[in-house]
Amino acid sequence: MIDASQRRYYVCFSLLVLATLLTPIFAASFGAANIHLNDVLMIFNTLLGGDMPSAIDGSEHAVTITQRIVLELRLPRILLAFVAGAGLSIAGSVLQTVTRNPLADPYLFGISSGASFGAVLVVSLFSQTGLFAEMFSGVLTIAPSFTAQPWWSWSTLSIPIGAFIGASLSVLVVFMLSGPGRSSQVERMLLSGVATSFLFGALTSLLLYFSTPQAAASVLFWSLGSFAKASWSNLLLPSVTVGVSLLVMLAFRRQIMALQAGDETAHTLGINVAKLRLSMLLLCSLITAMLVATCGGIGFVGLMIPHTVRLLFSGRQPMILTAMLGGLFMVWIDVIARCILFNQELPVGIITAALGSVFFLFILRQRR
Amino acid sequence: MSESVLDVNHLFWQVDNKTILADIHFSLPKGQMLGLIGPNGAGKSSLLRCLYRYIVPTSGDIEIFSKPISEYSSKLLAQNIAVVQQDTPHYFDMTTEQLVAMGLTPHKGLFDSNTAQDRERVVSALTKVGLQQKAQQQYELLSGGEKQRALIARAIVQQPHILILDEPTNHLDIRYQIQILELVKSLGISVIASIHDLNLASAMCDKLLLLDQGRLIAKGTPTEVLTERQISEVFGVCCDINLHPQHGKPLISYFYGYQPSPKGCPDHD
Repeated sequence: MIDASQRRYYVCFSLLVLATLLTPIFAASFGAANIHLNDVLMIFNTLLGGDMPSAIDGSEHAVTITQRIVLELRLPRILLAFVAGAGLSIAGSVLQTVTRNPLADPYLFGISSGASFGAVLVVSLFSQTGLFAEMFSGVLTIAPSFTAQPWWSWSTLSIPIGAFIGASLSVLVVFMLSGPGRSSQVERMLLSGVATSFLFGALTSLLLYFSTPQAAASVLFWSLGSFAKASWSNLLLPSVTVGVSLLVMLAFRRQIMALQAGDETAHTLGINVAKLRLSMLLLCSLITAMLVATCGGIGFVGLMIPHTVRLLFSGRQPMILTAMLGGLFMVWIDVIARCILFNQELPVGIITAALGSVFFLFILRQRR
Repeated sequence: MSESVLDVNHLFWQVDNKTILADIHFSLPKGQMLGLIGPNGAGKSSLLRCLYRYIVPTSGDIEIFSKPISEYSSKLLAQNIAVVQQDTPHYFDMTTEQLVAMGLTPHKGLFDSNTAQDRERVVSALTKVGLQQKAQQQYELLSGGEKQRALIARAIVQQPHILILDEPTNHLDIRYQIQILELVKSLGISVIASIHDLNLASAMCDKLLLLDQGRLIAKGTPTEVLTERQISEVFGVCCDINLHPQHGKPLISYFYGYQPSPKGCPDHD
């Protein structure tokens, strides 16, 4: 039984898969260094086992530089942007369903600012003892470092852990403020989220006030959101987190869907509502925390992408499609961020926030 | 005596020292339809919620197939009991078919996808309630009667042994009131339904439970439960009871303009 919406789903799905496969190639050719699409294709071809055509324009040196830029800077960056976009989108989609609040988003719910606070706290606590001074500069500098850190070291893990604790704390605060059993009150929950967001924002500012100007500047840049410090080593943790979370969400997709129909109905369908909701919220904070720790605060993606998907396919929860669309969106926003200003890049958080606030107003208008 | 699917004994539920349900006991024989009647606030919904474990009672035993419901997992309980609620909650965008397919939830493992057999079950449930034409329509855009029938289709897909209906005929016109209860009866499942309309309850139910202020006032066949005295005591209205010309069960005619005095209702012959 293939009806119109089913067909549209398959068409969109195929298009997105195609776009996901082609995007790295095209996106890699944009950036400060002018690299031609043919060069990128050649490098990818080499990667896939083909022979490197020996120095087309005669310069062996230029080829290796280009190769390094593409493979060590742009490719991890594209992948990180994809993972971040996918993660934020599925987190937003699941948050909107389990709280039955169409305006839920990791950023608007204060989860992002909680995570930022946790991360900044860890950084400032440990950087003062000198123990993490090296990491402090390593994590928060704008320029990507070629000295790859192993992903499992304590210093690379402490920021994500701090971010996760902060994020979980903010989820708790939002729930306490909005009151138990009143999760259906959309506006109340949103206000609690905004209040929590301000609270943690203020705490973060306080920490920054007591830190050095350089540290404050780099934290500021980081909190605006950027993929500039992407490297193969810091790609692993977010990818695994987002990948595993996506699997968990796919496994529980029926249960998540049933929550949409109200707590009592979900209960009669054999779902342990309180447990499911709490675990999903914690899973969303984990995704958000991991992404905030790696690429800073990127807002509104979790709001825009699920809503766009919902407009296209009402009633479905195509999690994979949401993830792909979110990832692609993020990669191209990052391309814009790299190219829009001459000789300088714009933090992606600024672009998503600008787009997102317009989108937010659009949803508010629609809800009336 | 047919086997009973549900047994309730000494059921109490108290909130803040206020007794909502007191010493309820009844059993539901297999394949029968049990009607729950009583005035507003009598505790009908609370009793039903205890049965599907949304409320945990203060004390008492509820057993399904002679096994306490506390020993059932959430999933197993949902495989045994399906519920159609009183107020249809607000679903933000879902087609009728998707809503009905939600009934598959308790039968599915974590990564299971819908098989051809599942889809057939959804289609046949939709056909049974006469909504096959509306499968792709938004649930929100259905009429009240259609929504109610869609929810019953979801319960059918859930394949329960017991069906609980909390005021399934509320807000429906008389045609759908009769149609929905007849539909439910035709499924051959054991049913408990709270019903406001006493004549409808009389006509459709095998047994009735009469509740008032959380206490069980009467239980038995409609003829045993629906007496002029009990109706005037519990509902505070006067009435005359005759036999229905078609099915021979009690037919209640209410009187207007009387308040029952402590001595009861005036005689009308």
